[in-house]
Amino acid sequence: MVFPTHKKFKSLDMFDYDAERLRVLITEVSRLNLSPEAWTWLSENLSSDDTKVINTAFAVMPRKTGKSPVQISPDLISNIDQVKPGFTIENWTVDKLGRLCLLLHLDPSGQDKYFKTIENLFLAAEVSELVALYSFLPVFAFPDLWKLRCAEGIRSNIGPVLEAIMYHNPYPEKYLDEKAWNQLILKAFFTDKDINQISGIDERSNSELALTLKDYAYERWAAKRKINPFLWRFTTKFLDESLVDDLKKVLSEGSLREKQAAALTLAHSGFSSASELMKSYPEFLQAIKSNEINWARLAPDNENFN
Amino acid sequence: MCCSHSFEDRRPQVPSEPMDLSIVKGMKFFDPHVHMSSRTTDDYQAMADAGIVALIEPAFWLGQPRTGIDSFRDYYSSLVGWERFRSSQFGIKHYCTIGLNSREANNEKLAAEVMEILPLFIYKEGVVGIGEIGFDDQTAAEDKYYRLQLELAKEAGLPIQVHTPHRDKKRGTQRSMDIALEHGIDPSMVIIDHNNEETVKEVLDRGFWAAFTIYPFTKMGNERMVEVAKEYGPERIMINSAADWGISDPLAIPKTAALMKLRGISDEAIRLITYSNAITAFAQSGQIDETDFTSPKSIDQSEKFEGNTVLRGGQQPRTDKSSLIIS
Repeated sequence: MVFPTHKKFKSLDMFDYDAERLRVLITEVSRLNLSPEAWTWLSENLSSDDTKVINTAFAVMPRKTGKSPVQISPDLISNIDQVKPGFTIENWTVDKLGRLCLLLHLDPSGQDKYFKTIENLFLAAEVSELVALYSFLPVFAFPDLWKLRCAEGIRSNIGPVLEAIMYHNPYPEKYLDEKAWNQLILKAFFTDKDINQISGIDERSNSELALTLKDYAYERWAAKRKINPFLWRFTTKFLDESLVDDLKKVLSEGSLREKQAAALTLAHSGFSSASELMKSYPEFLQAIKSNEINWARLAPDNENFN
Repeated sequence: MCCSHSFEDRRPQVPSEPMDLSIVKGMKFFDPHVHMSSRTTDDYQAMADAGIVALIEPAFWLGQPRTGIDSFRDYYSSLVGWERFRSSQFGIKHYCTIGLNSREANNEKLAAEVMEILPLFIYKEGVVGIGEIGFDDQTAAEDKYYRLQLELAKEAGLPIQVHTPHRDKKRGTQRSMDIALEHGIDPSMVIIDHNNEETVKEVLDRGFWAAFTIYPFTKMGNERMVEVAKEYGPERIMINSAADWGISDPLAIPKTAALMKLRGISDEAIRLITYSNAITAFAQSGQIDETDFTSPKSIDQSEKFEGNTVLRGGQQPRTDKSSLIIS
């Protein structure tokens, strides 16, 4: 089957990446992953401009495609990453892939209709549909239009929905304003998410966030609760004397994991009294220098933060 | 939908039987009618502890009328969204049926709008039927929207969960069945709910599924249920709690199973009435995979992510209810 290049997808200013290229790649991966019957059904529904057809195809997708894991070659994964850096379909299921394929074929030439069609899918979505839709945010047309939707998603209390926004999703880093970005990070701490999987955390660190997280740390200390050591990472560029004192306390009283986090924060800060303090911990300095310790490789944690 | 509570219906206390579920320990239960949105987390924990592994939450009214289409939309989306997630945190698989309930069919302008958005919801994952629909006052509008939804169910190939009225129950039940057959619906796709001793025979004779709601004061008590089970056997019979915001009991199924066992009903018959029959009936939707709740570690592939979280697949941390200290 040949997929002609549609004129309507040509206009690159609707997208912040080569949408035509991604559409071809995703269509091909979908064809390879769907049964012949499911593929025939899906391809008949692609490029429809009837909202009812789109709504039904989107909702009914798992009944048609099943939910088995997507098979994809490393080459294709890296092709997708080249087209849209940070975006991946690794660990997806075929129903999610089929939904992406369907929505990548929506005609974006009418901005209002395009936006309303997708927004209505959000409004009526169940959990796995929400997960799919939020992880598609980086590849929708008119990226600026989805900022409020993304911020709304961060208010969700449904774990997998939050993870769809936070993990392997290049949209928030690029488009959220500072307030919404900070909410995302705070929410990640409050719901015990894996901070390492959020992209852009160092690039988007800011003093407001550092201050809020510091207050949060004090609140947890006051309640005699543990602090997620990743919290300190967000203070790296904003250390002051009182934070250095706090980290000094962690270095002497914390678990190994906590000590390593404090050491990383102090060592990366470039703040003079932090460098001074680290002189008393040559073994940590050495381990950081040799990359034995980094934020992706802290000592294991055997406790919950509750 | 169970509550037109008139509390005068309450009967005098009968001598109580101490609750002991240990004789049904290890049995699995499926509650095919329970309105979890109006229940607490304590209920979820108690249900999981008592062996309930999966449930169906039918769409019903809120206890007061909705005034706009958006509150229907939000309600339906909470049944497939938040409530489903909440249930999963207690290790209970949550399904639902979607429909316009009979009381609200009487608000015709709104009812017409609801019919327009139903197709957006009925094809979603885990939607195992159209329900609960049927008659309340048995008005012309109720008749109209019952029929329209039967057609919708037929088109979608979904089972139908039929609420039978409190008032004029026997004739309302007959009429519900007559209309379903008139629309060419196979009775094996229809679960007639809230039966009693007066309705069960005809429902079974005509080939429908007969569901019984074990609900204190206003519907079936479970001693009566034991007698029905003895008389009719387990074929095409299922029980549910229909627990909601009224005085109801989300443990109605395990309690009734225990009572059945005490009174000599076989394990196999109990299994059919409290678990398998409901699954067989609603699995005709193609949306129930028993392994989702029989293998304890099974996690929906689509919810699988690297990196563990407290919420994912696991269960809510328990609080120690017997302690004065809350930490």
